[in-house]
Amino acid sequence: MKKQTKYILAILAAYILVSCHKLDVPPLNIISEDQVFSTSAGVEAYMANIYTLLPMEDFVYEPNSGFMTGNGGRWQCFYHTDAIDGEMAGPFGGTGDAATGFGFWPYDRIRVINILIDDLPKYASLYTPAQVNEWLGEAYFCRAYTYFALVKRYGGVPIVKTVVDPNATIASLQVPRDKEEDVYNFIGSDFDSAYALMWAPGVNGNPGIQQGAASKYAAPAYKSRAMLYAATIAKYGAANYVDGAARTQGFVGIPAADANKFFQAAYDAAKLVQGQFSLYTGGYPDKVQNYVDLFLTANNEDIFIRQYSLSDPNSNSDNSGPHSYDATMTCRIMTGNGLSRTYPTLDYVERYGSLPIVNSDGTPTRYTNLSDLLTVGLEPRLLATIYFPGMTLRGVTFDQQRGIYKTFTGSAAEELSDNLNTPNDVYAQFPDTNSSANLIFSSSSNNVYSGHRVIGNAGFNPSTGDDNTRTGFYIRKYVNYNAPASLCGLYQSTQSYIDMRYAEVLLNQAEAAMELGLASDALTDINQIRDRAGAPLATSSMTIDTIRNERDKELAFEHQYWWDIRRWRIADQVLDNRKLYGLMPYYIATENKYIFLKQVETFQRTYTFQKLWYYEPLPGGELGKNPNLYPNNPGY
Amino acid sequence: MNKAINGIIAASMLLAGYSCTKVDNYAGPNAAFQGNIIDSVTGKNLLTETGGVEIELKQLSWNANPDPYYIPSQPDGSFDDARIFSGQYSVIPTQGAFWPTDSIVTNIGGATTQNFTVVPYLEITNFTDSLNADSLVMTCQLMAPRTDNLPEILEIWPFVNSTPFVGSGAYITNYTISDNTNVNYNLAAINNSWNATIASTTYRMVVHGLLPGRTYYARLGVRVNDSYKKYNFSEVVPVTTAAK
Repeated sequence: MKKQTKYILAILAAYILVSCHKLDVPPLNIISEDQVFSTSAGVEAYMANIYTLLPMEDFVYEPNSGFMTGNGGRWQCFYHTDAIDGEMAGPFGGTGDAATGFGFWPYDRIRVINILIDDLPKYASLYTPAQVNEWLGEAYFCRAYTYFALVKRYGGVPIVKTVVDPNATIASLQVPRDKEEDVYNFIGSDFDSAYALMWAPGVNGNPGIQQGAASKYAAPAYKSRAMLYAATIAKYGAANYVDGAARTQGFVGIPAADANKFFQAAYDAAKLVQGQFSLYTGGYPDKVQNYVDLFLTANNEDIFIRQYSLSDPNSNSDNSGPHSYDATMTCRIMTGNGLSRTYPTLDYVERYGSLPIVNSDGTPTRYTNLSDLLTVGLEPRLLATIYFPGMTLRGVTFDQQRGIYKTFTGSAAEELSDNLNTPNDVYAQFPDTNSSANLIFSSSSNNVYSGHRVIGNAGFNPSTGDDNTRTGFYIRKYVNYNAPASLCGLYQSTQSYIDMRYAEVLLNQAEAAMELGLASDALTDINQIRDRAGAPLATSSMTIDTIRNERDKELAFEHQYWWDIRRWRIADQVLDNRKLYGLMPYYIATENKYIFLKQVETFQRTYTFQKLWYYEPLPGGELGKNPNLYPNNPGY
Repeated sequence: MNKAINGIIAASMLLAGYSCTKVDNYAGPNAAFQGNIIDSVTGKNLLTETGGVEIELKQLSWNANPDPYYIPSQPDGSFDDARIFSGQYSVIPTQGAFWPTDSIVTNIGGATTQNFTVVPYLEITNFTDSLNADSLVMTCQLMAPRTDNLPEILEIWPFVNSTPFVGSGAYITNYTISDNTNVNYNLAAINNSWNATIASTTYRMVVHGLLPGRTYYARLGVRVNDSYKKYNFSEVVPVTTAAK
């Protein structure tokens, strides 16, 4: 027994001795930093992850829910920023539904970028210096991009530019807010670093632009956008603001005296991009088709894009998986699945001038066919941006029709005055067509009166809610007319999203130039845009409003106008108890003609912007964790 | 057997240990806070609407950076919230059509009543209403208790509703045509800083197309271009149209 105990003790002792061995084996289930940064494939994969989660307002972005990574609602492309700013009538009940954001706070992503900026130089000897600089430049670009997404929402935020140790003291982790102006300066200098570090693509043996990645001239393109935001906030925010502690301390608002400095920075940055890209003209001489294809064909106007792939294994949740734009932005009768809920407004269309729908004597203009409105000489860019009644997509006609008038007498204005009960608009629902009613509506597109459908298949059907147009229009920009309807279902679309294109750089330059008093420079820029759009050229009588209107026409439905009316500080005037208008086609039975009436969209929603929304509130959870973020933005 | 008992004891000790967690023993929101927002000119309750004023409360006894809590005004210019945590608060009436005021620090507990006196941006005076067939004609003048640095005066709005709850958040939109490109635009647009002309003008607004044999409730509201663009109202008048 004793012997046995001795043996056991001896064996145990042997084990204990052996156990005095340091357990310093790399874990197999964690990829370490040196594994990532010591091969170019590792660095590329790391960069791809940064790009995939870059806060880009693309097809799937929703202004009330965010960037939709892994979110099952990401098929609903109609939750679009431009559905709260008056460009479109959409699913939001009003501007307030999405004006205060979604608690965006991407410091985890900033940390991922900071790790690369801090640690990649340790592995520099493994690569050529140009390659290391290219990667670092891309990282600076992505960091500036992310901070810009923050500052345009919140104003000043904490600037974190190193990798923070999570084990540090709480007090040191509670980084205080920086001033709005300092954040814009930081963004400008990061874009400058990106520009300085990256190689000039396609020259001196350098590789060309890699689609989906940033490149040398993308940095000044975005810098021109960011600096223009800062400049206009300085200039116009000085007069129109909500007062509060955050403003007094400079966390929101930029001194008006610095406006010109930022306009100059925007102008200089835009100048750097000149000659590197060009407006797309590959579809000439048909300027309508050219403008349609600009958004569907990879071309030299693209500066920074996001690509989507059907082969992404998590195709319904990854940002690089396919999107559902075709299925959710046009009419169901032209797609394979899905439904639409957002529609361009007549307010947007009238930026190009009034449509010829009323004669000089005030009576509605009679048209023989629904499509005759397309032949009155509308601007090619407008026709390429919007599907009008009478156009066709995938062989199906947009036949939206609001109803049938048996007869129509008098002027359009009389008919539309809500308060005068004119004989024309005594109405009834089909099949009640024999009564004294003169205007017939229907809740089914199959109902026929006098040999003619009462309403169209593409609208306006009250029984389908907002699945058909509320305004008479559908969006055309980015809709892939080449894809057959059967391939236009949910998560089947892969056209790239163009986040920055050369046209915007020209518009940035024009706006900055005009604000700096360089009117002739601005005129040249604007007329390049107009020529490609097929629009009449601007003249030297152009004002800043001409340039702003041009910007909205060109960049419509690209998540821009919302931020523009915010930074111009006109949102509270543009959206002030605002109703949005539609173009309602009617058929007149006795005349066998069509008329178009300008009427409030069918949901008659009201859109109002409150001044405090010029900044979003800092997320409550972050305020709870970090008291140094106080004061919150004015009014919250 | 002993072993089993030991095991049970150990298990129950473990369970007893888990029960030593902190319980939230704060009192519930058992205090009430109520009062009136008084117009300094008339001495009566401010003419407002639901949410026309917000009473902002910050509970200082909770922490140094309390999240604000808002009690919206009621249509009669009072406010009342019976679910408030007892404690010391900084309170200020805000987001309304009156000159900014100073906050007060007060202890709320039990049923606390606190009135606030505010100076409205504008008063609607000499308000009249009359029916002309299916049209309602309303006239008024404006008075400004303070004119220095008064923000730009925007417009006077006619509001009509089928219930006594009428204001900018509750009106029949077909009777208030605020799109100035519409031929039936019926706001009185001013868009100017306070001046002698505004002070002496009688503004007239017409609402067309009232239906016969109905009782409507109508009032006017005027707003200035401050941070909140809320309205100073007239009183509400009932209007009954003749039967057909």
